[in-house]
Amino acid sequence: MNVYLLQVVNGIGIGMLYFLLAVGLSIIFGLLRFVNFAHGAFYLLGAYFCFQAMQWGMNFWLALVVVPLLVAFCAWVVEKVLLRHVYAQAHEFHILVTVGLALVLQEGVILIWGPLGDNVATPEALQGVVMWGNFIYPKYRLFVIGFTAVFALALWWVLEGTRLGSAVRAGSESTEMVSLLGINVFRIFSLVFALGAGTAALAGVLAAPIRGVEPFMGIEALGIAFVIVVVGGMGSFAGALVGGLLIGIVQSVMSTLWPEGARLMIYVAMAAVLLLRPHGLLGRG
Amino acid sequence: MNRRNLLKMAALSAVPGSLWAARSALAQSDAIRFGCPVPMSGAFAANGKYADIGMKLAIQQYGTALGRPLAYTVLDTEGKPATAVRKVQEQSEQGTRFFAGGILSSESLAMGKEVEKGGGVFITTAGADEITGKDCNKAAFRWSVPTFGAIEQTVRPLIEAVPKAKRWYTITPQYVFGDGLLSAAKNIFAEKGLEHVGNSYHSLTEKEFSGYLTNALAAKPDALLILNFGSQSSDTLRQAVSFGMKQNVTILVAWASGLEQFEALGADLCADVYFGAQYWHGIDSPLNKDLVKRCQETLKVNPNYSLAGSYICTKIMLDAIIKSGSADPKAVVAAMEGMKYDGLTGAEEIRAGDHQVLKNYYLLKGKPKSKMKDKDDYADIVSSGQSFLPLAQTGCKL
Repeated sequence: MNVYLLQVVNGIGIGMLYFLLAVGLSIIFGLLRFVNFAHGAFYLLGAYFCFQAMQWGMNFWLALVVVPLLVAFCAWVVEKVLLRHVYAQAHEFHILVTVGLALVLQEGVILIWGPLGDNVATPEALQGVVMWGNFIYPKYRLFVIGFTAVFALALWWVLEGTRLGSAVRAGSESTEMVSLLGINVFRIFSLVFALGAGTAALAGVLAAPIRGVEPFMGIEALGIAFVIVVVGGMGSFAGALVGGLLIGIVQSVMSTLWPEGARLMIYVAMAAVLLLRPHGLLGRG
Repeated sequence: MNRRNLLKMAALSAVPGSLWAARSALAQSDAIRFGCPVPMSGAFAANGKYADIGMKLAIQQYGTALGRPLAYTVLDTEGKPATAVRKVQEQSEQGTRFFAGGILSSESLAMGKEVEKGGGVFITTAGADEITGKDCNKAAFRWSVPTFGAIEQTVRPLIEAVPKAKRWYTITPQYVFGDGLLSAAKNIFAEKGLEHVGNSYHSLTEKEFSGYLTNALAAKPDALLILNFGSQSSDTLRQAVSFGMKQNVTILVAWASGLEQFEALGADLCADVYFGAQYWHGIDSPLNKDLVKRCQETLKVNPNYSLAGSYICTKIMLDAIIKSGSADPKAVVAAMEGMKYDGLTGAEEIRAGDHQVLKNYYLLKGKPKSKMKDKDDYADIVSSGQSFLPLAQTGCKL
């Protein structure tokens, strides 16, 4: 298989993980108009909780379910105790509070697990590679693509086909209107924030066997998540998917075309999209 | 206490410890002050935190020099040359003249120049040839083997050990350190008639290496030479193993960061992988045995490269202060030039012409978990030796 085709397949693998990382941030901004700089820290928590769960002998598959729920619960508490008190403030307050929260969580990770990185073993069933001609790809990464695709469908159904999803979408247009219809908007806010943090944690769990865990992984993840949200369009589920895949493929293909600039091209792609479509590929004007 | 708890305590105590040392120095104006400029935050923070412990250990071991108390301060360079220079400048203005630090070559090169301007002494463990090459200066010294020697002592013996490895692929960080390693490796490939089937440069902030590994797989190499450092080399190796490369490709991490890297990766990932190392706690030399004993007694861990490097750099300066009978940087530099001593890697010598310490570099091979004799017995030393460019070829003019 041509190396560029291999890179496109690899880019889809990277992009699906990026989608998972960014979709929560996008949904939170879409509904709450809240700039969440602590999003990367929830990804960090997901990865470390998975590491700890496996240290305690928990099965990876169980961790894949339990850890995102646990992080979502933590986020739900944080939203109730702290964040909802600054929703009405300017974006600068959102940034100050969430950057502070991210730093507290990061330092907490260092305090508990130390500043060194650690390895998370790939589940036994997914160790090894798939070979198809000269196409060689890790089984685990293929699983991540498949799992994320199924999860994306499920999330799309929740947002598009359920009453909760209707309330979320309506809330992103006008919270006052939804409130007048008798829906508890703050409960919706809490649920959405927890859902966003939970998806970030799920990305952390899935990324842990690929990249290991280290205390500064949240900062890098946050940067990527913002790029994808900007590329795809703020608040757009489909935008997060398209943005994630686009950035993943750009990064991977550029690893062959211009390896030293592969990282840089992520930001060049973002700048190009901003110039051509200031509201992102699928964002609302 | 395990290594993680030790680091947690070090991380917690780093700032108060430094402040304490600085206060002590202010209170005792005759104290000889040392600076430890290393990354205490960012991607290389773990290395910096070990280096802090290494300097602290040496300072505590000596206690005084020339009848004067010793004090030291940790400076967080964040791994950025500009920050490192600013911190060193501030510390120089407060009277510190002796600096041991710098994890990244770029920050070490910048700090070496700054310390020379401030009239101090600087010794580093960073790798770029330029530090004791064309960018050398009267104030800067280097303990670690530069990139040339690291490649000579890893690629060359590995070619002999694995003669069927004819096609080599390299993954390189694009900065002065990576270029130094790559250039030395290319020279050996050309000399031995081996095929360099490709190289992927990457940025210093890269975390995702699957694209570069896809390039490598497409080139069908017999050997993968990983030329990055710290967490980046761990990420590259982890992802290379997940792509199945360990099955039919010989993997060499030319510049491993030592024990902490083995701990972070685990024995299963490291088994049968080759690593280049400046230092290994299993080295059979009197000073190393003493350091291992000292670390086990006081810290309950074996020393790693970052700790050992900082310890020996501080010790070299302290020994030179005692030898010269003066804390005047010019006298100390004169004492360090040509100094021979029993170092961590055996007999070591500081070459007067370029301020490079002549010492061994090691080729290690990761061993399976079942063959580890204790929790830190991750690797066997395959070979060791010294390779340095002749003085005339370094480009250094002091």
